Amino acid sequence: MPGLISPAERDYILKGIECNIRADGRQRADYREVTLETGVISQTSGSARVRIAGGTDVLVSVKAEIGPVQVDPETGDGADKGQIVCSVECAPSASQQFEGRGADDLNNELTQMMTRFLSNSTSNPSVSSTASAGAGGINLSKLCIIPGQQCWILFVDALVLDYGGNLVDAVFMGARAAIYDTRIPKTEVQDLGDGQFEFEVLDDAEDTEFVEGRENMPICVTLNKIGARHIVDASPLEELCTEARLVVAVNRSGELCGQQKGHDGGIEPSLLLEMIQFGKTTGQTLIKQLDARLQEEADADLAKRQRGEPVHKLGFFAQ
Amino acid sequence: MDRKRVAGPELSVAPLVEYPRDHKRWTPQDEQRHDTKRQPEDMRPIYLKTGLINQANGSAYIELEKTKLACGVYGPRPGKRTGFSGHGVLNCEIKFATFSCAKRRGHMRDPQEKELSQILSQALTPAVRLDLVPKSTIDIFITVLESDGWGSCVAAAITAASVALAHAGIEMLDLVAGCSAAYIPSGPSIASPTPSATDATNATGPSLAPRIFMDADLEEEKYEQGAIVLAYMPSLNEVTHMLQSGKAEGSIVSQSVEHCVEACNKIYAVMHHALVESVGENK
Repeated sequence: MPGLISPAERDYILKGIECNIRADGRQRADYREVTLETGVISQTSGSARVRIAGGTDVLVSVKAEIGPVQVDPETGDGADKGQIVCSVECAPSASQQFEGRGADDLNNELTQMMTRFLSNSTSNPSVSSTASAGAGGINLSKLCIIPGQQCWILFVDALVLDYGGNLVDAVFMGARAAIYDTRIPKTEVQDLGDGQFEFEVLDDAEDTEFVEGRENMPICVTLNKIGARHIVDASPLEELCTEARLVVAVNRSGELCGQQKGHDGGIEPSLLLEMIQFGKTTGQTLIKQLDARLQEEADADLAKRQRGEPVHKLGFFAQ
Repeated sequence: MDRKRVAGPELSVAPLVEYPRDHKRWTPQDEQRHDTKRQPEDMRPIYLKTGLINQANGSAYIELEKTKLACGVYGPRPGKRTGFSGHGVLNCEIKFATFSCAKRRGHMRDPQEKELSQILSQALTPAVRLDLVPKSTIDIFITVLESDGWGSCVAAAITAASVALAHAGIEMLDLVAGCSAAYIPSGPSIASPTPSATDATNATGPSLAPRIFMDADLEEEKYEQGAIVLAYMPSLNEVTHMLQSGKAEGSIVSQSVEHCVEACNKIYAVMHHALVESVGENK
């Protein structure tokens, strides 16, 4: 992650984008090749690794744990809901600038963004919205074990292993794939009478269920405004030329699940609306491709298991 | 008297809540807004005044009924960070007072406040001529005294900070006005705990397009399906920040962006007025 760029290089990138040809030969709307694999870490409930050709490498893990439900004291909302807790961390090894406290701001920004877009509560943490299905798409009610007492908490942790631009998209692609891969053990609730409940977590590895609503999770498309144009999937150098950045979160059915502007520039309202529209269509195509890949992988794994063959993951050998 | 024994009464009752007899909690099914005087596109009246903090180079105080916050600007002053930079740095810090929200806030800055600070600096930087103040920082400190709605709080912070910057005499390209809106489902919410009679008559409710309420307050925010905060420079016609959360159709988003831009133009007039007034005082 270089911190500075020379005026000549900036000019080169700017002019190139104006002519719809970028330094690595892509057009403005082209993504780099994305490598996606799920189930890479055995200790987790679900995991995924996303690599964008050119460097960006993100590992996302989901761990399901049992914890107390969080109830809003004022509205009494949340008693029958599970929780999603997100965090993003940039490994110091990923870039020179992530050393020490250097990545704190970035970690916090990405963590907050992920919490906003994926967990069902809206912007305000002190107010849990009563609107049924939030932006995250996941059915939190299904994560509740005993209403008012115990629920599943999904800890979604993203670890940035290498930096090659377009971190936000990679993190969200990874998070979506990791939750897609997540299996939660089934529980059996017993009514002891007197409003007392007890539950048992079933040990059977086959008796697990997927997270409901996983296919409705959004992904993000980051649009970088450079000059009067906008590009997707910016490389580190292009990110340095970016005046303004718009992150558009979109789900499979094309609903917008959140937007956030970044960087220190402005965007005209008409261009902003155009960018949102562009992000929406790009995101939908991307989701379709990702879903196809995830399905393909799940089918291949299942076929191998049925034949009794071991499932080998490429894991960290994937290029 | 026996101090070891609890001397309380045997029977205890819950405290009485002071609501008038005809009090009814506001729900999105109500035809009117929580504040019945307002239409969906109306904002709360804004009170904006500069120069309330003596020690600061520039300051502003803003009040949107129960949303109250103060902002002080210090600088440009030499940057604490070592190393040369040709541009000045805009350093924003927002702090919710411990008593400002329904839940008590801690004294330390929490992750949300840190992110908000970042959002504020991103919203204001496009307007400030930072190239004129190399090697310096401009510090903006915002204290939220009372918060009635998260969105309106962020929007008010942006408005107040930009007026305070102007009051401090820092060169800017334009003032930045902030505006918030909430998308509130018009039909009966599925999660609403009491199935009322309206459920039967209004069965298609949830599929209806949500209503856009400008400058929603806390009570309305509880029912929101999504929200947007927009920062806009009216003279330059540029959006400096946009933050949207929650799920919404594309058409609702573009509609709310237009509404917010319109509202920002109105806020601009208020900001303008407050600044002209402050000049009059100095004479």
